[in-house]
Amino acid sequence: MRLDKCLKHAFDMVLHSKLRSWLTIIGIVIGVAAVIAIMSIGAGLQQEINSQLNTLGGDLLTITAGFSRGGGFFGRGDSPPGSFGGSSQATSKSVILGRTDVQTLKGIPDVAVVDTEIRGSVNVSYLGKSGKVSLTGVDQSVWSQVTTTKIKDGRMLDSADQNVVVIGGSLASNYFTQPVGINQMLTIEGSAFRVVGVLDDSSTSIYMPIALAYQIIPDKTLNEYDTLVVKIKDEEQLDASIAMIEGKMRLARHVTNSTQDFSVSSRKEMQATRAATMSSMNAFLLAIAAVSLVVGAVGIANTMFTSVLEKTKEIGIMKAIGARNADILKIFLFNAAFIGLVGGIIGIVFGILLSGFLPALMGGALPFSRGGTFVSLNSILLAIGVSVLVGIAAGSIPAYQASKLKPVDALRYE
Amino acid sequence: MKEVILHLENVWKIYKMGDVEVPALRGVTVEIKKGDFVAIIGASGSGKSTMMNLIGCLDVPSKGSVFLKSYDISRLPESDLAAFRGKTIGFIFQQYNLIPSMSAFDNVLLPLEFLEYDDASAAKRTREILTMVGLADKMHHRPTQLSGGQQQRVSIARSLVANPEIVLADEPTGALDSVTGKEVLELLHRLWKEEGKTIILVTHDMNLAKYARTTIELKDGQIMRVVENHGVKK
Repeated sequence: MRLDKCLKHAFDMVLHSKLRSWLTIIGIVIGVAAVIAIMSIGAGLQQEINSQLNTLGGDLLTITAGFSRGGGFFGRGDSPPGSFGGSSQATSKSVILGRTDVQTLKGIPDVAVVDTEIRGSVNVSYLGKSGKVSLTGVDQSVWSQVTTTKIKDGRMLDSADQNVVVIGGSLASNYFTQPVGINQMLTIEGSAFRVVGVLDDSSTSIYMPIALAYQIIPDKTLNEYDTLVVKIKDEEQLDASIAMIEGKMRLARHVTNSTQDFSVSSRKEMQATRAATMSSMNAFLLAIAAVSLVVGAVGIANTMFTSVLEKTKEIGIMKAIGARNADILKIFLFNAAFIGLVGGIIGIVFGILLSGFLPALMGGALPFSRGGTFVSLNSILLAIGVSVLVGIAAGSIPAYQASKLKPVDALRYE
Repeated sequence: MKEVILHLENVWKIYKMGDVEVPALRGVTVEIKKGDFVAIIGASGSGKSTMMNLIGCLDVPSKGSVFLKSYDISRLPESDLAAFRGKTIGFIFQQYNLIPSMSAFDNVLLPLEFLEYDDASAAKRTREILTMVGLADKMHHRPTQLSGGQQQRVSIARSLVANPEIVLADEPTGALDSVTGKEVLELLHRLWKEEGKTIILVTHDMNLAKYARTTIELKDGQIMRVVENHGVKK
């Protein structure tokens, strides 16, 4: 039988067992939709990471007290110290970053500027609504050089500033009942501060001069810092600069390579670590989605087995009137492939819809959804290919069984 | 002497029922000549269905050989046998065995699709043959929309569409009333007379044997006798 005729008969078979075919198709739809949606998160994440890696900040190093071996970015860099702990010696009170460290850093020729930062959680209120947000005290004379976030409204902190703050975009726009504008007063831990700038980001953080932050954030000792942000002179020499900084600081702090009680990390490195973590998380989710696709495949196999049983007599008739084993095999394989294909196409539509809703569903709670989602043409083609292959693979055993039926037995089957 | 189209040589067919071996055919040797009208008759259990399956190349013998047009069917590869069967033998079954999801036209067209006819000539041939059996106005009806006699005529049309040399009919009137049954037999008879087909009729009904020129009587898996009925004329 010609291939086009086999396709026609396979298609007729799908049409003539509508309900069962559709139920089977649903199984594939769910699997494909899940895979598409999760791949879209992965693609969105990839785009976000690529754009981050290309933005500024490659020349920035973050130095924190404590040292965690074996990687992992939690507990370092941007997150408040102690909040994730991170198997480090940072828990020991004696390990601090202080003025000596700043002096050491400033004495290194590769270092352009050093920003001293402290961080804590504070109560903030505005027009009666209050909440707890993260506050960062920064050296306002250099902060504008070490931050990669742009100002959306107003200005950055200035060296002469007193009692003013710069706030994150989200805190300004929707954290309180009303948006916070430039020159409005925020009450932080009982004191009033004037907002001079709004950042172009989606954070709820507050930034203020470090001298004031010591008075606002509880349990902070003057001249002890949570993080030192270093801008180096030449981004190309990043690794050499890190090595030099680590060497000099070890000398100054009287520690060796093995007893090092601080860590130096670059933004690039942190982003790469984050990217690696996110992509392994994504792979994990993809594996779960793939399981549902496998369940869908089992559904196809099940339907095909039933179909072969149901059509045993017809197979016998077809063989009596001249069907070869190969013809029967093709018809049943195409039938399974059709189910896979239709399931795949509908699944892609649902997957695209789902990926549109996903960021909203997760409420931005998961860090990897921040980049939004992106359904690539590749993932669509891949999904179609995989669903057809899944159909064929699931249908292969039943189809083989059908093709091998002996005509005399098949004809006798009732 | 007419050409032998089908030759069974000491054919045994043994079915295994658990540990017991049941012989359905026991050393059958028979020749069927081209252009003959043969009735294979016997009571149920006589082995006539088994014989029909072997003649129709639907099954292979346990022992002995079946030669169809000098080919030994148990030596042909599956795909060749299927194509050979499609070309050479047309089947008419007691229960019509039409495919319920297809129209009369598609049912009749099916053998030509397996033989890879081109679409235009296959459709033309299908229309011709359905017209010949008197179903020109029912081509696009499903089997369920047709009466038993009409369904059997679709089945006859399907058996003839590929222009086979042999038409093998298994109790073709078994499910029909006597009037319709007679019509079907007369149609077969006409095929034999006018088209020169070799007709093999398998039945338990001795009355049908009168249409045949040669009657092969089976009992307990063996041929009891072969009777030539010279009263039946072309």
